[in-house]
Amino acid sequence: MILCTTDNVPGREIAETIGLVRGNTVRSRHLGRDISASFKRLVGGEIEEYTKLLAESREQAIDRMVAEARARGADAVVAMRFTTSEISAGAAEFVAYGTAVKLVG
Amino acid sequence: MSAPLQEPSREQLLAMAYVDGELDPKARAEFENEIGLREDVRREVVQLQRLGLLARSMAGPEPIDHEWRKLARDPLQKTSTVLAFAGMAVGATGLAALCAWQVWKSDMEALPKFLLAALCGGALLLFLVTLRGRLRTLPYDPYTEIER
Repeated sequence: MILCTTDNVPGREIAETIGLVRGNTVRSRHLGRDISASFKRLVGGEIEEYTKLLAESREQAIDRMVAEARARGADAVVAMRFTTSEISAGAAEFVAYGTAVKLVG
Repeated sequence: MSAPLQEPSREQLLAMAYVDGELDPKARAEFENEIGLREDVRREVVQLQRLGLLARSMAGPEPIDHEWRKLARDPLQKTSTVLAFAGMAVGATGLAALCAWQVWKSDMEALPKFLLAALCGGALLLFLVTLRGRLRTLPYDPYTEIER
């Protein structure tokens, strides 16, 4: 499955546009990690607990989007985007979306 | 001498094809049915998903990672972290128990006492049920090892 942020897949021709595909997830870290993260906010620097949280969410959202694209018979997802929002303190929503297409050949 | 490589089983081959998105819709539906029925197949699929995720996040370690790993092995850091969390856990549990005891011994009427006990007991039960759910599904969550 080709994923790209451009409107086309360079060097390939789009045969058919299938439509919007998306994957989302809301994940959180456990209380212990939240406590560590809140202390890191006091001293500064990277809060890797939350870096990890967003990375986990990103990968899961991509996988869900790809699963939907596969189920609909797509070869690629073009114009792919990410968006994120905070649902509650310490829980992040991550959405991956794009346009599923079939490629020529 | 290395052990001879074993031929992958039918389920392993199907799991690889499933994770790589190479099954046609009918075969995928059949395999998804098998995933629902067999725990060994579920575990195999999650294992392969973990490998795929690992391959996707192959960025090399940054200098700061070495320092974080060194700190994680440092006995002072490790012991202090364990002591800090143990202290907070003991304190929170002790305070909760003390509050419960004070309420139990107080002159409060039976009905409010019962309602308070129901509220606290319900919250504790809900927490335990949620924890049970998380522990049960944790082996099937391939995203827990992603770092960044």
